[in-house]
Amino acid sequence: MPGTCIELKQLEFQWPGATQPLLRIPELRISRGERVLLRGASGSGKSTLLSLIAGIHKAKAQQVFVLDHDLGDMSQRQRDKLRANEIGYIFQQFNLLPYLSAYQNVLLAQQFSPARRKRLNEQLPSHKQQAQNLLLQLGLTESDTERPAHQLSVGQQQRVAAARALFGSPALIIADEPTSALDADHRDNFIQILFEACRANNTTLLFVTHDASLAPHFDRALELADINTGSGGRS
Amino acid sequence: MIRLAFASLANRKSSAWLTVLAIAVSALLLIGVERVRTQTQDNFANTISGTDLIVGARTGSTQLLLSSVFHIGALNNSMTWQSYTHIKELPGVAWNIPMALGDSFSGYPVVGTNEDFFRHFKYASDVALEFAAGSVFDADEHAVLGAEVAQRMQLNVGDEFTIAHGSGGISFSDHDAHPFQVTGILQRTGTPVDQAIYIPLAGLGLVHGELIHDDNDDSHDHDHADTEQQPVYTLSAVLLGLDNRALALRMQRQINTYREEPLSAIMPGLALTDLWRTLSLFEKALFTVSILVVATGLLGMLTALLASLRERRREMAVLRSIGAGPFTIFGLLVSEAFMLALAGVSIGVLMLFAVLHFGADWLLLHTGLLLRATPLTITEWSLVGAILVAAILLSFIPAWRAYRNALADGLTIRL
Repeated sequence: MPGTCIELKQLEFQWPGATQPLLRIPELRISRGERVLLRGASGSGKSTLLSLIAGIHKAKAQQVFVLDHDLGDMSQRQRDKLRANEIGYIFQQFNLLPYLSAYQNVLLAQQFSPARRKRLNEQLPSHKQQAQNLLLQLGLTESDTERPAHQLSVGQQQRVAAARALFGSPALIIADEPTSALDADHRDNFIQILFEACRANNTTLLFVTHDASLAPHFDRALELADINTGSGGRS
Repeated sequence: MIRLAFASLANRKSSAWLTVLAIAVSALLLIGVERVRTQTQDNFANTISGTDLIVGARTGSTQLLLSSVFHIGALNNSMTWQSYTHIKELPGVAWNIPMALGDSFSGYPVVGTNEDFFRHFKYASDVALEFAAGSVFDADEHAVLGAEVAQRMQLNVGDEFTIAHGSGGISFSDHDAHPFQVTGILQRTGTPVDQAIYIPLAGLGLVHGELIHDDNDDSHDHDHADTEQQPVYTLSAVLLGLDNRALALRMQRQINTYREEPLSAIMPGLALTDLWRTLSLFEKALFTVSILVVATGLLGMLTALLASLRERRREMAVLRSIGAGPFTIFGLLVSEAFMLALAGVSIGVLMLFAVLHFGADWLLLHTGLLLRATPLTITEWSLVGAILVAAILLSFIPAWRAYRNALADGLTIRL
């Protein structure tokens, strides 16, 4: 095995004021390079789990590990830095800053991340050129890369979002229902493109959806309700 | 981050521009008021110089100063010619300028005086009057005009005009019988001198029928043993220059206690300071109003920033997702506010200079305000700085809100 990307150990998380934990996950381990689908109904604690893994909210010590870092033991700043360097995040929609062009949105990924800049510097082309190449790989045209994000179609916007997540080769991509705003054709196309890019970089993919029909594409499909014994799981 | 803040602002162009404009106008007003205040005070202090005492009939010092130097208001009392001859002969008096006021031409005050006025009157830092054209009057029906009078009434050397009794613009008792001829026009001084007409005392006496010409001299009855003929019965004020300035206080006391007639002597410097102090209330009110306008401008910015936060929650979530910390979000809002305020203040200052540059003549002509487009003073710079600091402090409110939102929302995009 090439090593662990995400590991949850006896995770228990409850929001302040809640009477019982929303999440209680005894164990979950995702290897590097693995592509995992996580399915869960809305309200099942999906978003909370993702924000814990992304380091937005803080878990208790020794419960959440990302790339062997104990997130519960890191400061807000350190977690923000880890996210900037090693985690690409794709939202359901509205991923882009509408007033920046497509490639500028991609370049944003290295704005707060010295590690991504360093990895980008190892290759010859300028950062802008690399961003545009990535966008071309993901199926945008040359002229699209210069257009302001708000002029792009939803499908194109999601590809730009994927490009931003992948830019500078982070170890982990978290995609939070990235295809729910796309129709079936665009959805399959988007997943194919995302897979290829992840495979090329040996990037771990944690793909969250409520759509079980996507499961066959993935190495592994998890049902959140099965692994979560907290209140979110029972609902 | 500044670049990001700039791009984000550019995305909200119209509200950003309105905010900038509001701040610009308020900065223009604040610095403009400050400039009017200081430069007016300078101009004010520059109206008279070198004169040690102003003497008139018993009255308040402000009233005497206003009427003799600024030609504002009328003196109820006047001093007799007899007192004048007494005062000007006092030991220690180096020179004197008699002034008879009360008449006007088209609203411009007419000052009856003599050649000594042009010789001894000084303004600013001991600057003497100079002629732009012509020269001093040398006959009774000659007149010298202030620069502005000549310009506004379009009178040149050699032209004739008639003066009216009383200081109003239109008078029922025009002295048509006595036209005056312009013999000289003074250089512009930026003081009330520009707005006055100077005629010989004898000329004024003729107009008023107080002076009887030589051919009638036999019937004119002199009560006093004066070798010189008395051109007018009374004077409004006399400006005195002393041999030694240090004697002014003693001389003032001597004149104030003159037995024959109740007189007042004032020291122009002190009287100006007194007068300015009474005006300072008005000046403070003006300053307060402009501070409030600045506050309004900055509150407008606060409103615009707070309102933008709601629509920008997803922008914040995106920034969080790429690793921006909550403090970065905080800084983003602060730098936005700083850019708005900086742009506003800069435009405001530019507007002020444009107004001063292109409007100075108009202002001088229509309001008598002499303002110059000189570089910002230290006080003005500190006002600029205060606006910027206030903007940054105010921006902590939306920045704090955005910080809280960023922490609470995390990566969920709320719409």
